[in-house]
Amino acid sequence: MINASSNVKLFLEISAFLTGFSETELKATGMLETYYNTILANTDGNDIDYFFQNVSDILSAPERTDATIEQAIAMQLIPDSCYSGLAKNIIALWYTGNWVGTVVSAASYIQGLMWEAGHTHPPGAKQPGYGSWANPPLSIVKQQN
Amino acid sequence: MENNEYDVVIVGSGIAGSIVAKLLTNAGKKVLLLEAGLQAGIAMDPEEAYKTYQGYLNTFYNASAKVPNSPYPNIKDAPSIDVLDIEVIKKNVPSTKGYLVQMGPIPFASDCARTPGGTTLHWLGTTLRMLPNDFKMKTTYGVGADWPFPYESLRPYYEMAENEIGVSGEVGDQHYPIKGEDIFGEDYVFPMRGIPTSYLDGVMTETIMKNNEVVLNDKTYELYCISTPQGRNSIPNPDYNITGVVWDTASKKLVQTRADGKDSYQPVGSNWDPYTGQRCEGNASCVPICPVQAKYNALKTLKKCDMSNLTIRTQSVASKLLINDTSKWISGVEYKTYKNGNSYEYETQVAKGTIYVLAASAIENAKLLLASGAANSSDQVGRNLMDHMTLLSWGLTKEPIYPYRGPGSTTNIPTFRDGDFRKEHAAWISPLDNWGWSWPVYSPGSDVNTAIVSGMFGKKLRAEMERVITRQFLVHFECEQIADPDNRVTIDPEYKDQIGNYRPVIHYKATEYMLKAFEAAKTVSDQLFKQCDIQDFTYYNPVTNPDYVTYKGKGYRFDGAGHIVGTHRMGANKEDSVVDADMRTWDHENLFLVGCGNMPTLGTSNPTLTMAAITFKAAEAILKQLEQ
Repeated sequence: MINASSNVKLFLEISAFLTGFSETELKATGMLETYYNTILANTDGNDIDYFFQNVSDILSAPERTDATIEQAIAMQLIPDSCYSGLAKNIIALWYTGNWVGTVVSAASYIQGLMWEAGHTHPPGAKQPGYGSWANPPLSIVKQQN
Repeated sequence: MENNEYDVVIVGSGIAGSIVAKLLTNAGKKVLLLEAGLQAGIAMDPEEAYKTYQGYLNTFYNASAKVPNSPYPNIKDAPSIDVLDIEVIKKNVPSTKGYLVQMGPIPFASDCARTPGGTTLHWLGTTLRMLPNDFKMKTTYGVGADWPFPYESLRPYYEMAENEIGVSGEVGDQHYPIKGEDIFGEDYVFPMRGIPTSYLDGVMTETIMKNNEVVLNDKTYELYCISTPQGRNSIPNPDYNITGVVWDTASKKLVQTRADGKDSYQPVGSNWDPYTGQRCEGNASCVPICPVQAKYNALKTLKKCDMSNLTIRTQSVASKLLINDTSKWISGVEYKTYKNGNSYEYETQVAKGTIYVLAASAIENAKLLLASGAANSSDQVGRNLMDHMTLLSWGLTKEPIYPYRGPGSTTNIPTFRDGDFRKEHAAWISPLDNWGWSWPVYSPGSDVNTAIVSGMFGKKLRAEMERVITRQFLVHFECEQIADPDNRVTIDPEYKDQIGNYRPVIHYKATEYMLKAFEAAKTVSDQLFKQCDIQDFTYYNPVTNPDYVTYKGKGYRFDGAGHIVGTHRMGANKEDSVVDADMRTWDHENLFLVGCGNMPTLGTSNPTLTMAAITFKAAEAILKQLEQ
């Protein structure tokens, strides 16, 4: 059996590959532990164990590159037949804050990464300040500077 | 006349009821306010107000479908209409899924909030005035109805409403289709400067103006964009000098007070802290909830009542008006006070006043009148139910426009708000939307799910989301529904809520005047998208869209705009209207109706501002009658 604490690290590492957001960006949401616990609580134990075994194999394969890892993810994790669709659920969790269509918590809604991906903020939170919407988003302005 | 404890009994604490309560209590009248919603929502104490409001906000964050009523309690003893209950109506089988009993053939598509402060809690905050021809549709275009007074006589009341709500806008930007009309009078300014328009507005305005001619029924029209006045806080306009409204006992009129110097307007902050909400902070969630209350809501008006003259009873649902057999005067309002929101336990009591004011929303007012056999000698109560039947068009722009930022809409295309075409089909306004495709297809969550299902992940997924979300353009066509007597609210003893009050039974359809407008709006939309090089993703689903209608072989989907009006229309004659120009019922001298139900036509503006304006007029008449 893989012990739980090492799986958090694996979860973070594979989440970065699944979402396209860096580990730092993922950590900055403050949701890592919550999401890890969410998948543990809502996924069949066998699926979880085999999933992390597979993740561990993918991430520690010899001569791995981002490209080989992505290829392995596409073949071994993404298909719906793998681990009851866990990988897709993990992506949706990070992007929307929802676990299979249900909001995990107020914080998960606010930390949804789809807003970040779209250079905006979740409606009702992380407000950008009076009049800022008249300009391109700050994340774009920073890129240009 | 009976010796009553209260001068006036008001039913409902939304914007109409709150304006009446504020004016009357500050004029020294004793007011009892009955509110159907929960006690917590009315809290005036800052700590309690904050606690309740944070509760709403948290409920909103946790809601899977963030629809207009999602932050607010929906309770069984005073149910709210909810857009999530709208479903396709099967032939001859009413839809009873939600609070409304929808008889069809198509469902009424709008909701309102039955909670302290009413629907202003989730309104967008657009505060356009109606246009002069909207008040004389029958005379000018031969359709709909005329109001019992012209636009010009409403102008001072519009100013009162704009002061009360706290409108931000630029009068100089307001150009409407009929040239030369004097809408605002000389030197008028709004209380606050215009809310900055969005980046998207800037890009799209430039794109639209490059090639702005569209052809409709062989006539050429010019599209143009103007900034939209809004009821949310911005920078005070130093040239604005109106400080408020008072009742003048001598002249028996409401009078606007003015400051000697300029620079007098103070934005009204949140109900828990006057320094919060002084400016719109760009939360981009005006509907359903402004987290900082920079957007106006009716509780701000209620808070300005003279509390020593105001008694509020919450969790108290008006169920029947008692009518004196001989005088036909209203002698009391029977109401049911429930213990908690979902209990079967309640107490029935009667509230008595000299004058009664129903301010419970267009649908609830009509329902209450029908349940009481009141005010209906014209047979117009509940009829002429209207809304803006709204066509949505969405597509992807070539370059990013960065939506999902700022208030819901800050710019509109007013080209088709007025014109001769209104003889043939409905007018419309086209607001540019700042929130991407969230309205038609629940973006961006739905976009994420589509991409994931297709197998996308990692950096590709992120890039795809960036590509799609930053280019989403939405424009909508709010078509002015014209009064039809068969679009109506009725009641049926078979359909009651759990404390024995009637549920509204709705009959609703789109007349040919509306279908022609959908055809026309789609024609304009197609040209607009083509000329602006927008890739059109608009899709009307014949099976799943509940308000799917066809005309000349083509299908359209319309949405509701939340603009529920017309159910107790105002008019010049008691034969064809429910209330007179003072909003007094023709049948009961001491019964006034306020709210959007009074409006004989809807025009192409969001109705709250106009409704607030006529409510000032009604309050003036009430005060006059009390002091006779």
